[in-house]
Amino acid sequence: MKLEPEQESMRSGENGRIMAKAMETVVRYGEAFGAKRLVPIKSAHLAGTFGIGPFRAYLQILGQIASEGLKVRVPTTVNPRPGYNLNFINRRIAFPKQEPLEELLAAIGTTPNYSCVCYEKANVPSFGDRLAWAESSAVQFANSVLGARTNRNSILMDVCCAITGFTPEFGYLLDAHRRGQMLVKLDIKKMDAPALGYLLGERVVDKVPVLEHYPFSRIELKNMGGSMAASGGVALFHVEGLTPEAPGMNSVFDGPPETTITVTQEDLDSMRLHRPGKADMVVFGCPQMTCAEALGLAEKFAGKKARVPTWFCMVPHELALFREHVLYGKTLDAGVMVLEYCPLGALSLRLGKKHILTPSGKLLYYLKGADYGTEDDCLRACGVMQ
Amino acid sequence: MMVLKGNPVIKGRASGTALVTKMPMNFTASFTKPKNLLPFWRTLVQDCNHDLFNRNIKGTVLVYPATIGSTYTGMVLLEAMYQGAAPAAIIVQNADPLLVAGSILADVWFDKGKPVVEYPSEDIFDKIKTGARVEVNGDTGEIFVS
Repeated sequence: MKLEPEQESMRSGENGRIMAKAMETVVRYGEAFGAKRLVPIKSAHLAGTFGIGPFRAYLQILGQIASEGLKVRVPTTVNPRPGYNLNFINRRIAFPKQEPLEELLAAIGTTPNYSCVCYEKANVPSFGDRLAWAESSAVQFANSVLGARTNRNSILMDVCCAITGFTPEFGYLLDAHRRGQMLVKLDIKKMDAPALGYLLGERVVDKVPVLEHYPFSRIELKNMGGSMAASGGVALFHVEGLTPEAPGMNSVFDGPPETTITVTQEDLDSMRLHRPGKADMVVFGCPQMTCAEALGLAEKFAGKKARVPTWFCMVPHELALFREHVLYGKTLDAGVMVLEYCPLGALSLRLGKKHILTPSGKLLYYLKGADYGTEDDCLRACGVMQ
Repeated sequence: MMVLKGNPVIKGRASGTALVTKMPMNFTASFTKPKNLLPFWRTLVQDCNHDLFNRNIKGTVLVYPATIGSTYTGMVLLEAMYQGAAPAAIIVQNADPLLVAGSILADVWFDKGKPVVEYPSEDIFDKIKTGARVEVNGDTGEIFVS
């Protein structure tokens, strides 16, 4: 790899020993994938926001960076908090390092947005921007829906890129890796975007799928993507005539697709739990919900009582908007807990509440004891829909 | 003794007993579960969707097709290497940024990286079976199976 003089001097230690290690990390990362150069990034997004007790190496590295006085060189947002102060177990056992972690994130100059849905307000990329983001769902939204360019960067690689301001040019930063590989035909009567995302993740694994045209909303794209990046390693998908790099099938594929798959209504329905009534708890919002999503659900809860504990997990600034609305009070009156945390973090270590029903394919994959239901199934389990 | 030639990804030499799966690995789903964290760090596969469920990957030569799931992956692998609970070496059909980041971070920051070799061909699953003794050379990409 050929480095610019500025990059070479960072690597050789002119900006200190820790900056040299960060640069070495970024360079070695590029070399492993045959990158020819490092390119400047517009922004970073960090996924490491859980102060998990038994994890030691992450805090050690962040601590070394902060103690050298190094700061991020580009706007850098961060993932949600895990709900460490929700209860004793989370505070003392699961996330005892939360406060020191947040102090370190502040010390290196990150934006305290604390959301995986950073791309709606806190950190909005433009088409073609080169980024160094972590958080699989945000990576996928930036690549697929916004047409920005980022690889699926790991926690700490995101930090090293943010501190140096550079990322190696390989993978999804290059035109050649953004072309369609797999054609997805849809034979669906009633769309269920998170279920579709989950099934696609399983079948596509790490290829670039191109879906036949369907008029997905921005919220559906977010929730489909979150699921796809959990059950699979998909970093980029296209939807014919909807997402910015797929105006038509001819322009997104080089020649015929490598493979074609069809997802049917039967496939989607097979994802649903057959007895949603069994749920001990219902959780909405993974990735976190926007105000618009919360309002849509809140209408169903207004004037009723939730039959089981129900959580809305929201983007913090979207929750602030929701609080302004009359439906917010009605949602609380219905017994819903409205939180700004990551449900996966908050619920990973829990007593009781074994059967959690969720319309999130991502939460389904990661949370032990979770079952999947469509949004309507979940509302029925809450007892607020017939 | 059979010698396979893969692509070197992360340098270093190591040997161990092969643990082979045809399913993609989601390291985050496996190694952030309470059973692996409390009271001490372990690397039992705790992804209940996986055919290696409850197998310990520590010290093995792990052979699998692709890495899936969260961008926590690199931090999880880094921690496994830092705490001495990682596989001795990894052979993967498709080396991805998350796997590679974990081993580079462990190497640059703690001098504890583990070798990674990429071997794209499907015949990997015929040539290496669980239980085989395998030596991996991450400098050359050579894999010695006995």
